Amino acid sequence: MGTGNEDRFKGIGVADPAWDDPRYWDRFHAAVLARAVFELATRRRQAQQPVAAVLSSWSRSLIPVALAAAVIAALLIGSEANRGPAPAAPPLALEDVLGDEVGDGSFQAVMQGELHASPIAFMALVEGNDP
Amino acid sequence: MRELSDGELVTMVRSGESEAFGELVRRYQRPAYAVALAVSGKHHDAEDAAQESFLVALQRLDDCRNPSRFAGWFLAIVRNRSRNLVRRRKLRMGEQIPASAKTRGPSPAKAAYISELRSRLNEALSTLTEVQREIVLLHDLEGWKHREISERLGIPQGTVRSHLHFARKALRIQLAEWRDVKEP
Repeated sequence: MGTGNEDRFKGIGVADPAWDDPRYWDRFHAAVLARAVFELATRRRQAQQPVAAVLSSWSRSLIPVALAAAVIAALLIGSEANRGPAPAAPPLALEDVLGDEVGDGSFQAVMQGELHASPIAFMALVEGNDP
Repeated sequence: MRELSDGELVTMVRSGESEAFGELVRRYQRPAYAVALAVSGKHHDAEDAAQESFLVALQRLDDCRNPSRFAGWFLAIVRNRSRNLVRRRKLRMGEQIPASAKTRGPSPAKAAYISELRSRLNEALSTLTEVQREIVLLHDLEGWKHREISERLGIPQGTVRSHLHFARKALRIQLAEWRDVKEP
């Protein structure tokens, strides 16, 4: 260590644990490496895995998930089929739709031959206002 | 043999190369300790935080987006681990910078002298701000240059110089009698 800087505060050297224990940093280094063995081994194993092995490990987890998804889908489709067809809505006649807002009298009048009247008379009939 | 860059070492460590990791540890164990000591002020906390930080960095190495800037990324981990450790051990009092230096070798007189010296240094360092401690330790203890500290800590060079100037001034005043200390 040292910068050659004359201003350096030399008294601070005592803060270095190796000041009076020359082997301190060797022990420190060894202690860190000993604790890192497992993590380094895991990284080595991962790095050495060939692509095929990685894909195979993926497939091992993907296949059960895909199977489970297929079973759930089949169950859902099956339960829908068991319910049978939805009840059909009653047929709605065109006349009912057209005559829905028209009063009984007006409707009858329209059907009885007022068709030759002018459009204004017809609208007045439908809306219930005499022209 | 050409010295491998941090980026190259990081790439190799990602593949689990122990030697590359060993080189990274060798390269940054002292700076890591200095930063941890600047935060915690205690030898054992600094030692624990620095060692743990290497393991955390190894586990999270894939998060280091720019391997060529490993130093800054790693020292940020050291700083955070040290702060967490200080928070956890706030109640623990006592021992300061390197307690006894393992008592391997030094005579009792020398051990006492070193212990006293470290205690005084720790007191003096504690009067500085965290960033001043970090800079003075990295520069004067680890030998990092202004430019390296600036790049790795993300602090402008002028600010680094300024912090260093004030830190040294404060240390010299407080440790006047210990200046350029020699072993007994």
